[in-house]
Amino acid sequence: MNYIVKDLMVPISEYATIPEGSSLFKAVIALENAKQELPGAIYPHWMVLIMGKNKKVLGKLSQLDILRVLSPRDTYTDKIDEMGKFGFSSNFISKMREEYRLRTTSLENFYTHPKTMNMNVEDFMKTIGENEFVDENTSLDTAAHLMFVKNRLSLLVTREDRFVGVLRLSDVFSTVLNAMLKVTHTEGNA
Amino acid sequence: MKEIEKLYDRIIQRVNINLRELEFDVNPYVQKLIPFVQMVKFYAFYGISPHHPLNFQFRSSNLAGSYFLGRCKVTNSLLYKSDIRGDELKKKGSLFRYQDYEVPVSDNEEIDIQDSLLIKTLVHNYSHDPETLEKFFITDTIAMNYANIHGSPSNGCFLGVFATVDLTTMRDCVIGNFSYVQAGEISHLRIDPGTIWIRNPGKFNFFYQHPIEQLNDYIYFTAGTPPQGLFMDFIEDRKEAFQRVFDMVNIEHTIPVPNNASLDRYAVTKGQTHIGENVLVCQRAFIQNSWMGKGANAQENCFIINSRLEGCNVTAHGAKICEADLGKHVFVGFNSFLRGRPDSRLNIGDDTIVMPHTIIDSREQLTIPAGRLVWGMIKDQKDLETNSISIEEFSAIDSSISIGGLFFEGSGASFISAFKDRIEHILQANGAFFNGSDKKGHAQKNQNISFNTIQPYPEGMKKGLFPTIIIEP
Repeated sequence: MNYIVKDLMVPISEYATIPEGSSLFKAVIALENAKQELPGAIYPHWMVLIMGKNKKVLGKLSQLDILRVLSPRDTYTDKIDEMGKFGFSSNFISKMREEYRLRTTSLENFYTHPKTMNMNVEDFMKTIGENEFVDENTSLDTAAHLMFVKNRLSLLVTREDRFVGVLRLSDVFSTVLNAMLKVTHTEGNA
Repeated sequence: MKEIEKLYDRIIQRVNINLRELEFDVNPYVQKLIPFVQMVKFYAFYGISPHHPLNFQFRSSNLAGSYFLGRCKVTNSLLYKSDIRGDELKKKGSLFRYQDYEVPVSDNEEIDIQDSLLIKTLVHNYSHDPETLEKFFITDTIAMNYANIHGSPSNGCFLGVFATVDLTTMRDCVIGNFSYVQAGEISHLRIDPGTIWIRNPGKFNFFYQHPIEQLNDYIYFTAGTPPQGLFMDFIEDRKEAFQRVFDMVNIEHTIPVPNNASLDRYAVTKGQTHIGENVLVCQRAFIQNSWMGKGANAQENCFIINSRLEGCNVTAHGAKICEADLGKHVFVGFNSFLRGRPDSRLNIGDDTIVMPHTIIDSREQLTIPAGRLVWGMIKDQKDLETNSISIEEFSAIDSSISIGGLFFEGSGASFISAFKDRIEHILQANGAFFNGSDKKGHAQKNQNISFNTIQPYPEGMKKGLFPTIIIEP
């Protein structure tokens, strides 16, 4: 695989982004739209980037991050969640959550409450770590290595100091798959 | 006094290194908490009797006001008014049962305290760690006022005021104020104040947290302030009574004590107090106008005031009972605080288990029927309903339950059976079942203990430090 990162990255212009100050609802819509708007893509975007002024990436949000924010919380549910560290089983924790959900009304309509939908993305986005960047001229092998060592589903691609795109695990994986299929196909023909 | 100051700083540093992962700094909690001048003021003392092992080694330490019994080694440590009771340690040649193993104990067990600061702390029982059968270690640890380290080896830990760790090996943990932990083995955990956690993996898990705002009225201790609250005031109000027993060399009991019972010479009794047969009253216990029925006991730092205990009652270390009537076989766990009022007494029926660190503080007359399991914070009848259950009902739990603030998972029967077995063992060890010839326990063995005192350097660089002292039979 003689690819380099820029051969596979999704350019920033095609990626799901929202400006800083956006609401949670806007982030959800951006993720949904990105699924439909990516022309010819096999894999949809699972992440939206939050862009600051000067086109700097401030943070990111995945579908899982958004579900985490939308999970109804209060001091009681926090306490239940914390009980894993005291050796309670995950079945027990789920059961306690479910029982609490049934006996309290404060959690109803939490997802659609205006207060929830208008939450500011900066309040719950994941900030970008120093180890999440990769230069566009890095070989694909090295980039793939970085992904599994750092347990990342994507890396942000830079050209000098500028952020220019996103390298996604799904695209790296497709490339690996295609390389294998090509070999199999060649051997089959032979 | 330079050496003792250096030692203080050194201990703080060592504990902080162990707790760095939890980002917990012990410094603001302990700095200037005990003026060094206090550490010079008090003598230490140790007990000798033909019924107890004897082996003490004290090196480069301050032992102000502390009491030692059994086998104990203290090195580079500061022990302030602490009780180190080595009278239940394992003996050479005995077998230690752990799961399906029976491990022979190769030497007499000893309590080994190194690089630690213990303030008014009780250390008792034996190491329940199968990996360290012969050594009950307490290293790089700070325990605050009225903490209990009970059968729990500790390395790199901080115990808040009135915290208890019971039958649990702990490494690099912070145990919050008034928390009770009995969980076998824990590491790198930070336990919030007022947590009651009892876990036997695969069998049961019991978890309760006191409502913190209410708990703060009873005990509050945070960085930069001394411990405060009702518990501290309660003890402070009765402190003077202990002055006399510690100041006098020879002291006679002022009340009759049967020849099969034991009233420690460092305990306080006041008013019309009755000591029944096979009763054990330990050092630093305080009994006032109370009836101690046959086989009842009051362990270290217990206060029993204007109360009646019918018999075979266990009042565990640090428990306080005021204006209450307790039936037979009532167990009151560590540091529990049970308070009725003169015109609205607290009644507790036979065979009830009051869980460790329970607070019952009622201004209305409260009756707890026989055979209940009681826990948490109880101020009135309504609280009692959500903080107690019949032992029979609890024993029927086979998966999980949540009542009020209690979370329980596992076998209720297994939990109750573990508690009942332990209560029986405590009564037995304390001599409650002595029949005149058999089943001797602490109540009979502790009657004739001689006490010797030891003192630190009075001045110079080593002021406050005790010289190296080795005491053997």
